[in-house]
Amino acid sequence: MQHVEALEILLQGLCGVHRERLRIHELCLKSGPNLGVAASEVRLLCDLEQPEPTWTVRHIGGAMRGAGAEQIPVLVRTLNESKVSKNALRFFYSLGYKLDHELLRVGFAFHFQKGAQITVTVSSVNKMLKLHATDEAVPVTPGIQLVEVTAPASSENYTEVVVAVSSFCEYLAPLLHLSKPGVSTGVVPTAAAAAASLMSDGGGTTL
Amino acid sequence: MAAVDGAATGVQDQQQQPPARAVERLNTAVQQQLNLESVRTRANSLYKAISRILEEFDAISRANAVPKWQDVVSQFSMVNLELFNIVEDIKNVSKSFVVHPRNVNAENATILPVMLSSKLLPEMEIDDNTKREQLLQSMQNMPVSAQIEKLKARIDMIGAACESAEKMIADTRKAYFGTRQGPTILPTIDKVQAAKIQEQENLLRSAVNHGEGLRISGDQRQITSTLPVHLVDVFAANDGPQNYSDASGMYLKNTPPLSSTSNNSQGNVLQASGAQLLGRSAASPSGATVNTSFDNTTASPLQYANSPRSSANMMNTPSPQQQSLQQLQQQQLQRQKMTPQHQQLLAQQQFRQSSMNMGQSQLAQLHDMQGQGQQKFQQVISHQHMQFSQPLAAQQLQARQLASGAMHMNQNQMTQGNQLSRQLNQFSSPANNAMFNSAQTTPSQTISNVSAMMSSQPLFTRTQFGMSGGNRNLPSQNLSDQMFNMGAANSGGMMPIHQQQQHNSQGAFGNMQQSGQNLQPNMVQMQNTAQNHPNFQQSRPQNQQ
Repeated sequence: MQHVEALEILLQGLCGVHRERLRIHELCLKSGPNLGVAASEVRLLCDLEQPEPTWTVRHIGGAMRGAGAEQIPVLVRTLNESKVSKNALRFFYSLGYKLDHELLRVGFAFHFQKGAQITVTVSSVNKMLKLHATDEAVPVTPGIQLVEVTAPASSENYTEVVVAVSSFCEYLAPLLHLSKPGVSTGVVPTAAAAAASLMSDGGGTTL
Repeated sequence: MAAVDGAATGVQDQQQQPPARAVERLNTAVQQQLNLESVRTRANSLYKAISRILEEFDAISRANAVPKWQDVVSQFSMVNLELFNIVEDIKNVSKSFVVHPRNVNAENATILPVMLSSKLLPEMEIDDNTKREQLLQSMQNMPVSAQIEKLKARIDMIGAACESAEKMIADTRKAYFGTRQGPTILPTIDKVQAAKIQEQENLLRSAVNHGEGLRISGDQRQITSTLPVHLVDVFAANDGPQNYSDASGMYLKNTPPLSSTSNNSQGNVLQASGAQLLGRSAASPSGATVNTSFDNTTASPLQYANSPRSSANMMNTPSPQQQSLQQLQQQQLQRQKMTPQHQQLLAQQQFRQSSMNMGQSQLAQLHDMQGQGQQKFQQVISHQHMQFSQPLAAQQLQARQLASGAMHMNQNQMTQGNQLSRQLNQFSSPANNAMFNSAQTTPSQTISNVSAMMSSQPLFTRTQFGMSGGNRNLPSQNLSDQMFNMGAANSGGMMPIHQQQQHNSQGAFGNMQQSGQNLQPNMVQMQNTAQNHPNFQQSRPQNQQ
């Protein structure tokens, strides 16, 4: 927990914007066997933080592959996102999609511009034991939160965006290491000390 | 830098200038405290390090590259620490040294006399005096010794405070530098803990990326608690969670207002729309008062009307009962995959159908009189009657003719269950081509009219459908069109016409234009026509394409 606060302080200093609370109910729908050539997955995100819940549909496509992609320190993948009305869930059900799993993210997020429009979210991923029971969600991994750094890019400028994202991630190096979604990172040895120093009054010692 | 330089040079001077007399005294005393030579070397090395770092910065800035901040910060801390150590060492003996530049040059000409003078600057002097007065004013009426005591006490207090403050600062400084450079001071995470953290991390990653560990099994998928606010209006009131990929065949029972008094248990089957079929298993609707032999007889919903599989299937199940069962099952499947609105409308339709069934129960009884011992067969027949019963309500004369024709037909073919079921199947599964074609000789004029009505819709001109020419006479074209008019007006209440594509339940209704899906006005459709009664005239032209 202390590390999370430390991370928040660090992000605040790096980004210069205030954090926004995050509470998103994510429903992952998978298409049935008769729909389309291959199974597809669609995610419906409901933002519960707004006064009126807003829905977004997101389709995550395949990631960049190949030797070049291996070298890029950041995962580049296609993503389609759109705002939808609240009938989206019923619509997809009637299309034949089925609920595969759902999760609730609770945390905060920073949106800022630093070479690219970067979004950093720090959230605790919760699962619901009972269907759609968002009020009774428990964390999947208590004590461990998920940090995601994302930035939109087009096919022309994605290299610059990659550089921006990876350099931003280096700023977070004393506290945590970020990696592509398929790769695990482990704990950074300096995390405790870095967190302590971030949490101390004044943030740093003057000499 | 100047101070360090000055110190180094000053030290040198002292060592050299008074060679004999002062050397031994100063040197021994001072050198116990501070090895000046070493200070000099340290200062020099520090100077070199700093200039090297500055050069690196220069190169980076010229190349416009992003500096590796971690390295930069670590280098800076190194330099910082070294400087700090030197300064501390010198501080101990700073009182015995005076720092002044070696040569007078333009740089220090103006400031040198100030540095060398021992008199305070005027401002400083004034400050000094005022503070002195402030201090002593409070004690002017006391004897001098008391004043001295008090002042001493104050000095001691201040000294103590300063010392503690300095100590704290020094400690934190050392700790700060220590953690940067000395890995031994870090609290190490032992391997067990690291492994646990790693495992948790993998869990989290798989949960977010792939949904592992988040899937709920089928029996937990009922909504038992109240829905959260944002989902309340997403789901209709009567509805439950639909379409789960878990194929355990769970059922959610709504409480449909269905009457279960129909004299044919088939009616109950059709009315069991309260149970929503989850998943694709063709399990029987539990709880409905249906003969359970229905379940699991066929597991192949007709996915595509003209697919060889479905037709082959039909051919492979020679038993008429099974075929009818299959039909009904498919109907059930269709119904149960509808959206709640449709279901509600269907429930209403079934209500009417059942009421009409009651009205027409005499027909069924007539069939009973025909001595059909097989319960299912009877159901089949009565089911068939249900098809006709609604048009009966609509247009009594013509429908009666139909019904009587059906009765006659049934009487004629009582003995051949195959034929009857064939005709029955004809209505529901157009894929049953082979069977139907073999039944061309049946004298069931009225039923052939019905089928002709079906063919009157342009969709049925498909060759695969196999409606032979003999069934093309359309004496009662009007009736047929009206009967079978799905009617775009009835968009709300349309049953999913298709048996083939289970997903398109909403897309198919009313759109007779869709060729692939609306091939069969099955019994379901016919039930709807009663509702379309007022709409017959209107919707007719819509069907003529």
